[in-house]
Amino acid sequence: MSQNSNNPLSRRNLLRLSGYSVGGILLTGVSLTLVESLAGKATEPLNQKLEELLLKPQTPVPEFPESAIEPDALIINTYGFTPDIDLTTFRLIVDGEVDNPLTLDLATIQQLLRQSMVIRHVCVEGWAAIVQWAGVPVRDLIQLAKPKPGVRYAYFISADRYYESWDLASCLHPQTLLAYEKNGVPLPVDNGAPLRLASPIKLGYKLSKWVTQITLVSELRSRRGFWEDQGYEWFAGL
Amino acid sequence: MDSAAPSQISVKSRRLQAPPAKIFHWVNVVSLTIMLMSGLQIYNANPVFGGREGWHIPQFFLLGGWLAGGRHWHFAAMWIFSLNLLWYGIYILITKRWQHRFVGGNDVKALQTGKNYKRKIYAWHRIVYTSIIPILLLAIFTGIGMYKPAQFHWIVDFFGDWFALRVVHFATVPLVLLFAIAHSLLALKAGGERLINSMFWNNML
Repeated sequence: MSQNSNNPLSRRNLLRLSGYSVGGILLTGVSLTLVESLAGKATEPLNQKLEELLLKPQTPVPEFPESAIEPDALIINTYGFTPDIDLTTFRLIVDGEVDNPLTLDLATIQQLLRQSMVIRHVCVEGWAAIVQWAGVPVRDLIQLAKPKPGVRYAYFISADRYYESWDLASCLHPQTLLAYEKNGVPLPVDNGAPLRLASPIKLGYKLSKWVTQITLVSELRSRRGFWEDQGYEWFAGL
Repeated sequence: MDSAAPSQISVKSRRLQAPPAKIFHWVNVVSLTIMLMSGLQIYNANPVFGGREGWHIPQFFLLGGWLAGGRHWHFAAMWIFSLNLLWYGIYILITKRWQHRFVGGNDVKALQTGKNYKRKIYAWHRIVYTSIIPILLLAIFTGIGMYKPAQFHWIVDFFGDWFALRVVHFATVPLVLLFAIAHSLLALKAGGERLINSMFWNNML
């Protein structure tokens, strides 16, 4: 027996070795996953500082001519399902820490100043599409609601229970819209009709579709966004 | 024989690489590997060639486990990778190493008119390792364009469009791999094990 276990190539030792290596691979996988979130947590504050520094809150990003629109490049991504929304009863709510909470129907929203832009929509997955969007600037809606002085963030709640939170500066950017038009036609349901976020300064997962509620707050809640709560970066600025 | 022994000792104990060069080399090798593997993880979310139906990079070469993890690694290691290149750039400017430690007219001359085979290999070695500097700078430049395309829209415009920018950023992966092979072989041929050891292990502390 002792003779056998001293032999480095004995069956027992080989079995033990293979056990170690399977354990090793599993351990490496687990620890790399742990380190992955640590690597993210370690540098995300630094990266966010950089992103806030780079963001020029009042400077529009250069736009494209209409001839540059790529009608087939915009891929439809949802986390779950396409919600059924009754347009006659649809209301957009703007609430939270505001002096003048709003409940707006679509006709009222379309009477507000319409803004059109041709911008690049960039997805976290790496693809991008040049799209024309038209809608109402989120800045105008926030101003109508008269936010209280301490407001620093906005939550966007969607009909499919998708949720997102943004820094106020990015919400007030002149090209952050609640869009109801895409590439010259009314916004298709798959792209987020009746109202979706559109902006050249945030990654696609920040640009919620089917938005029904904007809530202005002074502090972020523990839930910061559908993908962010699973580990994606919160600021996601471009 | 008597005269050979002391000179051999002096050659052996002579430091071939300055400590800053070794530190740069080590940090660059490690951080660039993390950048490559996490970059390929991000690539797999939507392959540059063919989109979702395109060919995906095998799991073995990836780092991060999923898209968000790949991005965490990529945007954490980018600081180490780019700041390492920055201090090294300042270092070679201040010490004037860029004048005599990188490819120069004398290497071109050696290749064109020289008769010394060893000198020619050394010239190729210098050409190849100098070439990694613009490759790394290109990776950072295109990377900034993809990371912040709204704030650095002129970088995207410089390459034409988004797809061209992605292709060039991705092209730095095969360029770095080709470089690594050529650089290793030429280093071995130009200076043998002694040169390799001088860059990696000798007098590390």
